[in-house]
Amino acid sequence: MKRSKTIKTIAGVILMAVITFAFMPAPKKITIKGSDTMVLIAQRWAEVYMKSHPEVALQVTGGGSGTGISALINGATDICNASRPMKQSEMDQLKERYGSLGIEIRCAKDGITVYLNESNPVKELSVKQLSGIYTGKIKNWKEVGGPDAEIKLYGRENSSGTYVFFQENVVKGDYATSCQTLPGTAAVVNAVKNDKYGIGYGGAAYSKGIKQCMVKKDDKSQAYAPSAETIKNGTYPISRYLYMYLRNRPTGELKNYIDWILGPEGQKLVVEQGYFPVK
Amino acid sequence: MKRECTKEPISQEDNSVRHSGLINTNYFRMKTKKVTLFALTLGLLVPMMLAKPVLAQTTPTDTLPQQVNTLRDRINGFEDRLATAEGDLSKLTKIKLSGYIQAQYFNYEQSSNYPYNNFMIRRARIKVTYEATNGVAFVLEPDFQPGNFSIKNAYAQINEPWLKTFSLWAGKFDRPDYEVEYSSSNLECLERSKVITTLYPDEKAIGFKLEVMPPKTHLKVQLALLNGNEGYTYTDGNKNPYDPNGVSPVNTINAAQNNVDFDGFKDLMLRATYAFKLGSFGGLNIGAHGYYGKVKANAYDLLNSDYTYNKAISNPGTSIRRNWAGVEAQLYMDVLGGLTLKGEYIFGINGAPGYYTTQANPPTVTTNSMSHDTLFQVQKTTTTISKVPAIERNFMGYYVYLIKNVGKRNQFAVRYDYYNPNTKINNDSIGYKRYSKSVSGTPTNKWTYSSGTNMVVATNAQTVTNTTNALSTINSTNDLALGTWTFAWTYFFSNNIKIQLAYSIPINETVPAATGVTYNTNGVVTGNKTGVIKGYTVNGVSGFYDYNNVIKQNFLTLRIQAKF
Repeated sequence: MKRSKTIKTIAGVILMAVITFAFMPAPKKITIKGSDTMVLIAQRWAEVYMKSHPEVALQVTGGGSGTGISALINGATDICNASRPMKQSEMDQLKERYGSLGIEIRCAKDGITVYLNESNPVKELSVKQLSGIYTGKIKNWKEVGGPDAEIKLYGRENSSGTYVFFQENVVKGDYATSCQTLPGTAAVVNAVKNDKYGIGYGGAAYSKGIKQCMVKKDDKSQAYAPSAETIKNGTYPISRYLYMYLRNRPTGELKNYIDWILGPEGQKLVVEQGYFPVK
Repeated sequence: MKRECTKEPISQEDNSVRHSGLINTNYFRMKTKKVTLFALTLGLLVPMMLAKPVLAQTTPTDTLPQQVNTLRDRINGFEDRLATAEGDLSKLTKIKLSGYIQAQYFNYEQSSNYPYNNFMIRRARIKVTYEATNGVAFVLEPDFQPGNFSIKNAYAQINEPWLKTFSLWAGKFDRPDYEVEYSSSNLECLERSKVITTLYPDEKAIGFKLEVMPPKTHLKVQLALLNGNEGYTYTDGNKNPYDPNGVSPVNTINAAQNNVDFDGFKDLMLRATYAFKLGSFGGLNIGAHGYYGKVKANAYDLLNSDYTYNKAISNPGTSIRRNWAGVEAQLYMDVLGGLTLKGEYIFGINGAPGYYTTQANPPTVTTNSMSHDTLFQVQKTTTTISKVPAIERNFMGYYVYLIKNVGKRNQFAVRYDYYNPNTKINNDSIGYKRYSKSVSGTPTNKWTYSSGTNMVVATNAQTVTNTTNALSTINSTNDLALGTWTFAWTYFFSNNIKIQLAYSIPINETVPAATGVTYNTNGVVTGNKTGVIKGYTVNGVSGFYDYNNVIKQNFLTLRIQAKF
């Protein structure tokens, strides 16, 4: 009898604490971390939203999709930007820590663009050729119709969602050891811009000062450049969704912000920044 | 990857572009996150900048293009060196290091537990993972508890690269079960449930495991072939070849500590799980596992779970059964910041080996030339050879967790776990249902060995009585069921540190009151016995537990965990 009373007392105290915490107001400061590919659009969203909602503080940082997902799991960020879907192992970690599978929000589309130096005469590559180049089987530009020069590979670090997506959908194997890993899409673009025989990959929004390589699904297919139309109709072979992940269903200011991103104003900014809208 | 040096003159504009782009961005920026490489770069650059240039020296008379070329040669030289260094360092990136330390304060409310409270290191583990190539990993995880070093994980994992579906594990790893595989660093209620720690002591086992996880599905199937004895402690009756008393004393084998197989029998485990997504509500994982195992009977008699005689065993090396099955479910609900309900139910037959003793082989009688040899004359004696039969107990156990996240930093968990080691014995039969058999032995020789004065051997006739002792005695709690409530609160202080407070309330199964019990001065039961009584002596004070009541054995744990 006494034992039963003890158990009920403990349970009662804990229940009170749980309810008190659960209904505490959500903070007005929202942290956003993750994909470097999405940093441009995430910063733009934040700038514009804070102008019309000065009571909300939005803090945006990059670091890569993997870094953002880790931050979401350990509670260091409210929103994770990711340029790839969450892995099962990451979802398991989120389940273990928060009892939630996370909320996935598709907020934009992107065509992974293959960057070439503007002086490079190569105009198009097939997915198979890209795989050969990035696995190190094709080492010279002349093997794909270019000059007799060694191909210089530039890519992202393995915490990047673009790195993972490109590996799973294009490279389909291990990256060549000669591939220089750089800490952001901007760095990849800059490297290719300054290397006559360089090749890189990354988000379409970063394609400035370089040549976009047209990509074909296979040797017999037509090559396409990433554009709103080719990504929407699926003819450009390396397109993907960009995601926002939350631990739980959004409420309060977080929900307002997400709704705004998915609304006309947020999606308009997507197009302005060189990405593609989800609808 | 040697960079070619062009001999063409370069304009001022080209130079500035190349310098600002290639060096500042493409060269240095990529290193900003690699502290080690950055340090190495500094180590290379600074001495070279400070040192008197010799080979690549530019002179005031050089034209600008010549100076640029000279500088570019130097940079290319650095790049080559860096490429070599990066190649070396990239090998280090294949090694991943993680680990955690759990330090805790323990307070027992049980009178027989002494000391009543203590500080302890519960776990101190470092996990080293080496990913040799994509899909191949080696894992080594020692545990450094003070005075008790052990290897927790040591395995190689090979993921097949074609279908990306199968992976093969070899070595020592977690047995396939939900709570076993749930990391000790993530346990909401600090320790695993009674049914799990009983069936899968030490959690790990040595063997092979095949995992099947078809991509883009949520199915996972695990098939493991294991020694199966890891974590158990056995009493093997036939180990000591020397015995001055005529019979071999039993020998304890700690299969967990020694990582040895107690017998030649291998155990098979199969587990399958499937994860369902329930839209924005959350998710549901369901699964089942089966265990088909054997263990050496190590006895000449086998009993049923209700202590009735099953059969005589002619060879103690014969196997007895360890077969069970379990179902599990985990429901994740996105309710007020996350709510989890999870549980597992396991039932089956768990065979417990017995033990037996045999007469020792006589020491070799040597013709001893030493002058002080003495022949002892041993009187006729009677020796009892102790034996315990093997038994196959029917058991069942389960646990249920309710876990609620409270904000980002707090978590509350409550668990009820229950384990009934013998479902064939009701509480009013515990302590009464026993098995005992006495067999008169034949007179045999007794051998005496004196190690102090070299070898001295004497023989005489003695009478040996073989006794198969009772398994369930007045002070045996082997068949008592135990249910435990655990309330735990976790505060996530930072990404690496969490503080946990847990209070556990074990509630034992009660049995009819003991009667006719007497004790000697050491608290040992000596009188006529019924019921279940367990005596103890702490600091010279004797007492006893009468399992007619719920024994107060609550405990509180305050734990700090640092993880990296």
